[in-house]
Amino acid sequence: MLEVKNLTKTFGDLTAVDAVDFTIPGGTILGLIGQNGSGKTTTFRLILDLLHPDEGKVLWNDKPLSRSEYNQVGYLPEERGLYPKVTIEKQLIYFAQLRGKSKKDIEPHIDEWMEKFKVKGKKTDKVKTLSKGNQQKIQLISTLIHNPKLIILDEPFSGLDPVNADLLEKGIMEAKERGASIIFSSHNMNNVEELCDHLVMLRDGKIVLNGTVHNIREQFGRTKLYLETPLEKTVLEAMPGVKEVKQTGSQTYTLSLTSPEYGKDIFQRVTQNGYITTFDQQPPTLEEIFKMKAGDKDE
Amino acid sequence: MNKFWVILKESYRKNVQSVGFIVMILAPLIIIGIGLGVGYFVSNAEDDSLSIAIISKNEQVQALLSSKETGLKIDKDIQSIAKAKKALGNEEIEGYATIEVTDNVVEAEYVSTDIQGTPNAELLRSLLTSYQTQLKGKELALSQQEIEALTSPIQFSESIVTIKEGVIKTEDDSEIPGSLVRNGAAYLISIAIFIFITTYSSIIAQEIASEKGTRIMEVILSSVSSTTHFFGKLVGILLVCLTQISLYAIIGVIAFVQLKKINFVKDVLSIIDLGQLTASFIGISVALFLLGIFLYVVLAAFFGSLVTKIEDVNKAVSPVAFIAVAGFYGGMFAFVNPDHLIVEILSFVPLFTPFIMPFRIAADNISSTGIAISLVATLSFTVLTTWISLLLYRSNVLVYSDTNLFKTMKRSWSIFKSERNSTYKD
Repeated sequence: MLEVKNLTKTFGDLTAVDAVDFTIPGGTILGLIGQNGSGKTTTFRLILDLLHPDEGKVLWNDKPLSRSEYNQVGYLPEERGLYPKVTIEKQLIYFAQLRGKSKKDIEPHIDEWMEKFKVKGKKTDKVKTLSKGNQQKIQLISTLIHNPKLIILDEPFSGLDPVNADLLEKGIMEAKERGASIIFSSHNMNNVEELCDHLVMLRDGKIVLNGTVHNIREQFGRTKLYLETPLEKTVLEAMPGVKEVKQTGSQTYTLSLTSPEYGKDIFQRVTQNGYITTFDQQPPTLEEIFKMKAGDKDE
Repeated sequence: MNKFWVILKESYRKNVQSVGFIVMILAPLIIIGIGLGVGYFVSNAEDDSLSIAIISKNEQVQALLSSKETGLKIDKDIQSIAKAKKALGNEEIEGYATIEVTDNVVEAEYVSTDIQGTPNAELLRSLLTSYQTQLKGKELALSQQEIEALTSPIQFSESIVTIKEGVIKTEDDSEIPGSLVRNGAAYLISIAIFIFITTYSSIIAQEIASEKGTRIMEVILSSVSSTTHFFGKLVGILLVCLTQISLYAIIGVIAFVQLKKINFVKDVLSIIDLGQLTASFIGISVALFLLGIFLYVVLAAFFGSLVTKIEDVNKAVSPVAFIAVAGFYGGMFAFVNPDHLIVEILSFVPLFTPFIMPFRIAADNISSTGIAISLVATLSFTVLTTWISLLLYRSNVLVYSDTNLFKTMKRSWSIFKSERNSTYKD
């Protein structure tokens, strides 16, 4: 279990990370979101002990995370890089050796991992001969192949197509089932929603959202209404509690409500003539919440 | 396996197995090989020199000049002036000599295109002179001894001395003075230091800058401490350097043993007394050589860690290269003026000591205390530089900035300070 307690880091006048608290029990995934420069990478570096906090601490299984636990860490930095002139095999072995594994531990599993991530290429190929997507997969493999207990992924999905993103999701879920504590950052709210047990949003180094995806969305109330109806837009706009109507198709609309309670009344009205195919009252999506929170001024 | 060894092994293996390393090893050998080859052909070319023709009715003369001991190359087919002229016109012979002997007086004319006079003409002149002496001797009824007594040359010998603190010292005139031999060795050492420093500075800076630029560094530093990484890289690269030196040493010894058999090399060795390169001179030079490489490689590693993009690496190590060039020129100045005050001062500046001190030792103008002080100073400076580089290395590699080096260093310094404060709080 990873516990981050009151983590604070300043660079000169800038407070990059400000009293950040969260916990990741084994077998759970935490999503860290926030705009560029909100302190995500600094948080990762503080967890990894690449930087020392001014205040607060990072505990791994109740002890400070120190060099002796480095072998349990899998870290994928935001910008990707491998040794271009070294073969896949040698590269994976080298990084695994730096995590305390021996060549014998790793070598037999390389094929299996390359198969799992559907890497196109032989393990004796030099990395520079691979496509960018395949290089990224190799780096993911090198992050995961030593079966780390603490996995830190900085923007793991950026640059992956949907098929490969699915492969990565599968890989992350497998690690979760093994009992690893996983933290990752992403700009893609769909990945966050699908994967995360827990979500933390940073703005200017401070936590502005913290909780499960479900709870966070629910705390904003079910003010979104997805509707498929033959009714005219003007009719919908005239209904009580409707703040805004967005027409998304010939008969599909997204309504913003001033309060969730109006849902019932609107349901009555739109089903007056009987069956309709869509009536879906939802809290705002993570993306909407993200935009809302990112735009908020300091309270 | 210890992680230090993992890093050391990887950086060593990667460099030694690279094509660049093999080229680096072979290039000087190829250049030396070409040099020797050209020398060999030039020395052989003398044998290809054109022959000369001798036109004389005197059979004694013919026999005398044709004998192998004279060293003349004679085309015996040419016996008439007409033939000789034709052969000269076709540039088949170097020239021809017409020789007539009347009343024990030798008259000879040598015709050739060479304005400066050829060795052949000189040889002919001396051979014919002694022939005439023999003839005249006989005419005067002199015995062989009497002829030899008359023609024996005077005794004349030269002696070169050096003056040291007012005392005249005799040097063996057949040998190059010891200080010159040592000075020559110092010159070679200076060049070698310069080549090794520039080569290995750029290798380590490239290594570190590329790991930083590709963010591999972050993965590595979340696996091992920056100290382990820094020293692993450093020792790995220095071992590559030692590999190169050892390879050259082995090749050098084999070549020396083989080349000693060649006459030309024998001649050179007979005037260069390698015994003048005392163990202390070699020992101190090698120590300075290795210290110098270590010092500069550490500096290059430091500057390499400031770079954000691999393309900027040459810009980053240019201060190191600049100091090395200055040191090299300092050494060249010391080669000519080992007693100059500037040389004496610079020889104690750690970054210049490896380039300059060998010349002062060669010239024998520094006391052993002075040498010891300079060695200790260089060693201390190297330790200090390594320590500072290591302290800043960790913060350097986390700074990504596209601005200039100075700003990068400033940011790195602010991270370093904040890190130090945080560490002290723990």
